[in-house]
Amino acid sequence: MTLIATESLTKTYGGGVTALADLTVAVEPGIIGLVGANGAGKSTLIKILLGLLAPTSGRARVLGLDPTTDSAQVRARVGYMPEHDALPPDLSAAELVTHLGRVSGLPRTVARERASEALRHVGLYEERYRPVGGYSTGMKQRVKLAQALVHDPDLLLLDEPTNGLDPAGRDAMLALVHRIGTEFGISVLVCSHLLGEVERICDTLVAIDGGRLLRADHISAMTSATDVLAVEVSEGTEELAARLTVLDLPVRRDGRLLLVELVDDATYDLILGAVAELDLPLHRLDQRRHRVAELFATREPSHA
Amino acid sequence: MTTISADQAAGTPTAVTSTLDLAGVSRWYGNVVAVNDVSMSLGPGVTGLLGPNGAGKTTLLHMMAGFLAPSRGVVTLDGRPTWRNPEVYRQLGLVSEREAVHTFLTAYEFVLASAKLHRLPDPAAAARRAIAQVEMAGAQDRRIGTYSKGMRQRARVAAALVHEPQVLLLDEPFNGMDPRQRLHMMELLHRLGDAGRTILFSSHILEEVEQVSGTVQVMVAGRLAASGDFRTIRRLMTNRPHVFTVQSTDDRALAVALMAEASVTGVELDRAGLTVRAGDYGAFTRVLPKIALREGIRVRQLVPQDESLESVFSYLVEA
Amino acid sequence: MPEPTGVIHDIGYQRYTGPRLGRRAIFGALYLHGLRTAFGLGRSAKAKIFPWLVVGIVTLVAAAAAAVRSQIGEVVMTYAQFADNMSWLVIFFVAVVAPELVSRDLRSGVLPLYFSRPLPRSDYPLAKLLALATALWLLLGGPQLVMFLGAAFTSGAGMRGVWNELLDLLPGLLYAGLWAAVFASVGLLVASSTGKRAFAAGGVVAVFLMTTPIVGVLSIMPSRAVNELAFLASPSTLVGGVGEWALGDLLGPQAPVPIGGFGPVYAVAAVLLVAGCVALLLLRYRKVAAR
Repeated sequence: MTLIATESLTKTYGGGVTALADLTVAVEPGIIGLVGANGAGKSTLIKILLGLLAPTSGRARVLGLDPTTDSAQVRARVGYMPEHDALPPDLSAAELVTHLGRVSGLPRTVARERASEALRHVGLYEERYRPVGGYSTGMKQRVKLAQALVHDPDLLLLDEPTNGLDPAGRDAMLALVHRIGTEFGISVLVCSHLLGEVERICDTLVAIDGGRLLRADHISAMTSATDVLAVEVSEGTEELAARLTVLDLPVRRDGRLLLVELVDDATYDLILGAVAELDLPLHRLDQRRHRVAELFATREPSHA
Repeated sequence: MTTISADQAAGTPTAVTSTLDLAGVSRWYGNVVAVNDVSMSLGPGVTGLLGPNGAGKTTLLHMMAGFLAPSRGVVTLDGRPTWRNPEVYRQLGLVSEREAVHTFLTAYEFVLASAKLHRLPDPAAAARRAIAQVEMAGAQDRRIGTYSKGMRQRARVAAALVHEPQVLLLDEPFNGMDPRQRLHMMELLHRLGDAGRTILFSSHILEEVEQVSGTVQVMVAGRLAASGDFRTIRRLMTNRPHVFTVQSTDDRALAVALMAEASVTGVELDRAGLTVRAGDYGAFTRVLPKIALREGIRVRQLVPQDESLESVFSYLVEA
Repeated sequence: MPEPTGVIHDIGYQRYTGPRLGRRAIFGALYLHGLRTAFGLGRSAKAKIFPWLVVGIVTLVAAAAAAVRSQIGEVVMTYAQFADNMSWLVIFFVAVVAPELVSRDLRSGVLPLYFSRPLPRSDYPLAKLLALATALWLLLGGPQLVMFLGAAFTSGAGMRGVWNELLDLLPGLLYAGLWAAVFASVGLLVASSTGKRAFAAGGVVAVFLMTTPIVGVLSIMPSRAVNELAFLASPSTLVGGVGEWALGDLLGPQAPVPIGGFGPVYAVAAVLLVAGCVALLLLRYRKVAAR
C-alpha cells in the first residue's frame, strides 16, 4: 500500500506565493524524511495531508484516503506533532494527553489507559502528573510526541522533532522515533533540517525545494558506496601520501583524509602494506559513501 | 596581547589578531551558578562552544561580549577587561540567539544603523562591505520581513561584522536554518576564521561543529569540561577503550590474532564483522596493519566508532 | 509441590483495535471538558477561586431570598428578576471564564493539536460556546432552584403551592437561558480575539459595561421611539427588553426597561446578536485552523 501519494499537487496562496508546484511523489510505509529549504512548502504539505488546507490543484492521498474530502477519517488515523510550543502550561501531561485522546475518538477509559502507555513509551513517568509548564524542552517534546501517539495512528507527522534539544535530548528523540517506526509498526514522516538525522533514522528521503520535488528515494540509494577509499592515519599523513604516490596510487587530500581510487582488492593490500611499513597508526580505512548533503551542495541564486 | 603577523593568508583584510581570555570567571544569579570558575583563551580561528541545555553557554557568551559582568574573575580582550568597556565593543561582535531584527527595515538599513551606532567614518561603505561579506548584496534592499530564516541570520551577522571586529561571538547561529543555509553559514564562519578572526559559536548539532571546527570548548553544568581539538581530547580519555569495527576476509582468524595483543581488551564477532576494544590506541592502530599482513588477511574496513565529536561529547557529559 | 513458574509479560507498544467514537462523542468530550474548565475543575486551586466565589455569592443571595420569603412571606425577587439582579456577577463571570476557555488555548498554541484530530473545525468553538452557555445557565438557574425549593415546601399550600411555584420557576429558567445565550456568544467572541487573558477579560467587561452609557444617553433623547429602542444598545438591557416583552410582570410590577411596543424588535435583535456572534466566532476559527 502506498502511504502518501500526491499527484501534481499545487498550492498557491493569495498574493501569488507558490508553496507547492506540481508536486508528484509516492512513498511506501516506513520512516520518511522530508527535507527542504525553509519556505519550501513543507508545512503547506503537512496541512494538506491533514486536510486543514485544500490544494489549489492536484490530488493528495494519505493511507489511501483523500484528505480534502475524508479529512476526519484521515485525521483519525494520523498523529501530528507540531514544531512550535503547543502545550498549555497549567495542565499535567497525563490530563492533556488523555483529553486529546478523547478528542481523537477514544472512549474515556481507553483514553486514560492509552495516555498512560503513550507517556511511558516516550519515557515520561512520575513527572506526567505535574504541570507541563515546569518541564524541560526535552520533556515537552516527549509530551508532544505522546499526544500524537495516544490514538494509535497509522502515520505520524513529526515537524522538527529535535528542535531546541541538546545532543543527549536529540539522541533520545531520534532513538524514540526510530523505535516507533520499527518496533511499533507506525509509519513516520519526519520533517527535519538536519540531513545527518535523516540519514540516521529514515529509510526514505523526500527532498523538496521551492515547492518542487528535488528527489525522492531510499536513503540507501543516496548513500551508496563510491569507488574511493578514505584512509586516515593519526600521524604521518604526508609520509603516507608520498608513499602511496610512489606505489602508483594517486592520492587526493580532503582535510585529514587521504582519498585513494579503489581499483581492485589489491588496493587494500597496497595501502595496508604502506601503513605497516611506515609504522603509522591506522585510524580509518573505509569505502567512501555518497552523502545526502550532496543534494544541497549546489547553491541557488534565490537563496543567495 | 595583539600580535601582528605579516604573512596572513593572501587576500584577507585582517592583519591584526585578537585573543579573548577568561580568568577564573564565574557568574551566579542568587544561588544559581550559571558559570563556575571558567578559564580559557581563545585565539584566531573558529571554535565551537558546546554543552547541554543550561550549561551556561549563553551566559558565558554575554560575559565575553561585555554585556554581563562576571560575578568573579575577569574577561579580557587583548589584556583589557570587556565589561563596560566601549573600547572593546569596537573590536567585538555578538550575534545573540534571540531574533530581534526589525522586520520593516531592509538589510541595508539595518546594517547601516549598526554602522552609525558604531560611529564609523563611512557607514554606508562599511554596511555595503559587511553585506558583501555575508553574500547578501542581491537582497539587501528587500525588507527583512520577507527573508527566510537563514537570510535573516546572515543580516544579523552582517550587522555584527559591520565594524570589522576581531572577535565574533555567535549563539546558536544555525538554529532554524535549512540544509543549504547551514552549508552557507558554515562556509562563512570558515572564511572568517581563515582570515584570522577569532570566532566562537555555540551549537547543539555536533556533526556540524565537527565540520566547521575541530576545536571545541565543552561546558557541563557551568564548568569548562574540556578545551581544544576534540580528537586530542579523545586520546586523553585513557580510561575509555577505543572502539573500532573491522571487516576483513577472515574475521574469525583476525579476532584470534587480535586477542593475543596486549593493546586489545576485547573482540566481538558477529555477522557484520568485528568490534574491537583497544585499551592502547597507539599500539593497536600500529599493530593492526602488521597483524593483517602477517596472517594474510585482507582488511576491507576499519572504522572508529567512538572518535566522533558526538561520542567525545557524550563521554564528557556523562563523566 | 507445584513447579515454579515464571512469565515475562509483553508490555511493549500495543496497537489499538477497539472502537473509535464519532463526531458526537468527540463533541461531547470537548463540551464536558469546557464545562469543567469553566468551574475550574481539573485545574489548579487558583483557577477554582473565582468561579466558585461567584457561585457562592449567587447561591447565598438565593438562599437569603428564600429565607426571607419563608419567614416574613415577602417576595424579595421573582425567579426572572434574579437574573437581572445578578447581571454584574454574570458579566464578571464571563470576563474570567471566557478567556479561560479560549484565550488560554490561543496563547499556548495547543489549537493545532485539536485541529489535527478528527473533528470538524467548527466543533471546537461550538463546544466551547455551549459549555460557557451551560455554565452561565447553571449559574443563574441553580440558585433559582434553591429559591424554588425554599418557597415550594414552606408555602403551606401543599402540592398546589408546589405546582404554582413551578409555573413561576420555568419562565425564570428560560429567561436565564436567554441571558446565558447572549452573554456566552458575545463574551466568547470577544475573548477569542486575543490570546492574552487580561486583554480578553478587559474586552469582555468593556463590551458589556461601556455600552450602558450609550443606553443612558439614548434614553434621555427627546424622542419616545429612540427612548424605547435605547435598550438595544447594550447586551444586558437588550436581554431585559426581551424579558419585558416576553415575561411582562414576572420581572416586577414596574418595567425596568420601558420598551413600549417594540418587544418583537428586541426579540429579533437578540436572535440576530447571538447568530451574528456565532457566525463571527466560526469565521474566526476557520482562520485560526488554516494557519
